[in-house]
Amino acid sequence: MESKRQLTREELLEMESAPKTKMQHMLDVVICFCPYFAAIIMFLVYYLMPDAVQNFNPHVFTIVVCFFLALYLIMVVRGLLNKSYFAKVRHKAPLYSVIILVIMLYDFLTVKTAILKQPFFPCVNTVLCAIIDDRALLLKSTLYSLRLLFTGYFIGAILGLITGVACGYSKRINYWVSPIIKMLGPIPSTTWIPIIMVLVSSLFKGSVFIIALGVWFALTIASSTGIQNVDKAYLEAARTLGAKGHQLVFRVAIPHAMPNILQGMTQGMSSACTALLVAEMMGAEAGLGWYIQWQKSWAIYSKMYAAIVLICLIFTAVTFILNVIKRIVLRWQEGVVK
Amino acid sequence: MASVDEKQGHGRVLEFDKVTKSFAKTDSNEITHALAEVNLTIQPGEFVSIVGTSGCGKSTILRLIAGLIRPTTGEIRLGGKPIVGAGPDRGMVFQKATLFPWLTVEKNVSFSLRMQKKQDKELVEHMLKMVGLEDFRKDYPHQLSGGMAQRVALVRSLINHPDILLLDEPLGALDAFTRMNMQDEILNIWREQKQTVVMVTHDVEEAIYMGTRVLVMEPRPGRVKADIPIELAEPKQRDSEEFQAYRNRILKMLDLKHHTDH
Repeated sequence: MESKRQLTREELLEMESAPKTKMQHMLDVVICFCPYFAAIIMFLVYYLMPDAVQNFNPHVFTIVVCFFLALYLIMVVRGLLNKSYFAKVRHKAPLYSVIILVIMLYDFLTVKTAILKQPFFPCVNTVLCAIIDDRALLLKSTLYSLRLLFTGYFIGAILGLITGVACGYSKRINYWVSPIIKMLGPIPSTTWIPIIMVLVSSLFKGSVFIIALGVWFALTIASSTGIQNVDKAYLEAARTLGAKGHQLVFRVAIPHAMPNILQGMTQGMSSACTALLVAEMMGAEAGLGWYIQWQKSWAIYSKMYAAIVLICLIFTAVTFILNVIKRIVLRWQEGVVK
Repeated sequence: MASVDEKQGHGRVLEFDKVTKSFAKTDSNEITHALAEVNLTIQPGEFVSIVGTSGCGKSTILRLIAGLIRPTTGEIRLGGKPIVGAGPDRGMVFQKATLFPWLTVEKNVSFSLRMQKKQDKELVEHMLKMVGLEDFRKDYPHQLSGGMAQRVALVRSLINHPDILLLDEPLGALDAFTRMNMQDEILNIWREQKQTVVMVTHDVEEAIYMGTRVLVMEPRPGRVKADIPIELAEPKQRDSEEFQAYRNRILKMLDLKHHTDH
């Protein structure tokens, strides 16, 4: 009988790879410190080179960068103590260094030389200051956007799952629903905004509808394809084991379609994010999309960028959470469990 | 939709009464006659091996007993009652293990208990121990070897104490060593539990080694050509003269004469 594995994957890789020389190891350590060298160059440019346009509160930028450098220091120290973690730090170090250099280049093009037209391209420090200055309104707008996003997303996802499962299960339902999906599916849900905004009493409801619509399409298609493609062998095996009717759907077809369903959830989220911003920019009276439009109308570009940075952070976080969910739900898939 | 009550336990006769089965091809109007009239009686506790070239309707017979498909004409009865639909009283093991990849070994084994809203941790444990896989209960199917997966599939069906165990080339995809080990494992389980076993195989030796009776089938249309009781002393010796005589006789029937001399 096969014995259970006791080695970890990292240990195996290390045992099998060619031994590293002292030089190579030294080089790896140096690379881990590269972000600091990059940061020193960046600060030298930031403080020694004269500004082309005025830069208020220049130290905010320094504090924020130092905060991240300190976080990175913790990573490096942990890496020096723990071998497998060191590989991770070594892997990330070049990326972090380049990010710092890109920031330096951006600052050079904006605040230092004004090659990029001012004030349309505020420097990093100005954007950071804007986030801090206007934090109350930004927080309110963020929460409003999140509430809208998730309300629309969950309504759309649940309805999409129900329709998709029904279509996959019953040929008759599929007969009536699939033409609708085929005709309306390719149209981006944001196309309906002008009509919806006229028809619906509140802007919030209208936006929720638009977001939910896109998610509904994505999930209906994903889950019905997933269920229609269930391997017949599993259904037959389940039948000989006494499963019938709804058990075949809920215990076999849906778990089997789970990879498709999660794929649909990811797609739905990206369509929801697009719909959210378009809806907010076109009609809403709150939220980050509205905030961007509003600041633009006052020509306060730094605040506009502040909102864009927040949107970027939110969407990254949402994608991250979806990926975590995917990893947990699909842990049974080959390649997911390490 | 089990047509028969599980509590009656083992010991029911399986009868094929003038059973035929035809399939309509999906891409044309052609009809394939998978089974010409089959009449067959299988007594409780028999181990029936079915051999035959491909397309002779071996698997069709198993799927009919399992209730996955219905006969075109005729009737299949278990203990006098006609079989309608699949049920846990007739367990089936397929060539591909068909373990549910989203469930752990343990949950795969207890699947049919859960389908019947039952729970019996000790029984699951007993089943896992029977095939020596108690250390793998938390593993997912993709982490198992072919032989282990097939063992899990076997006990997943056996957990219901089926009257009839249907084996559709269960060892076909395994290597020679695992295969011979599992032949003995299955025989041991059968000797202990005494259910009726109907096994389809490509391997004539396996059919004789495991079966108390071998059905030789012929294709186009599928029908039973010969019904040979195997009268060999247990444990059967693969290299004995009697064993070889059975083997040659069956191979001849399958028109594989040129293979008989090695």
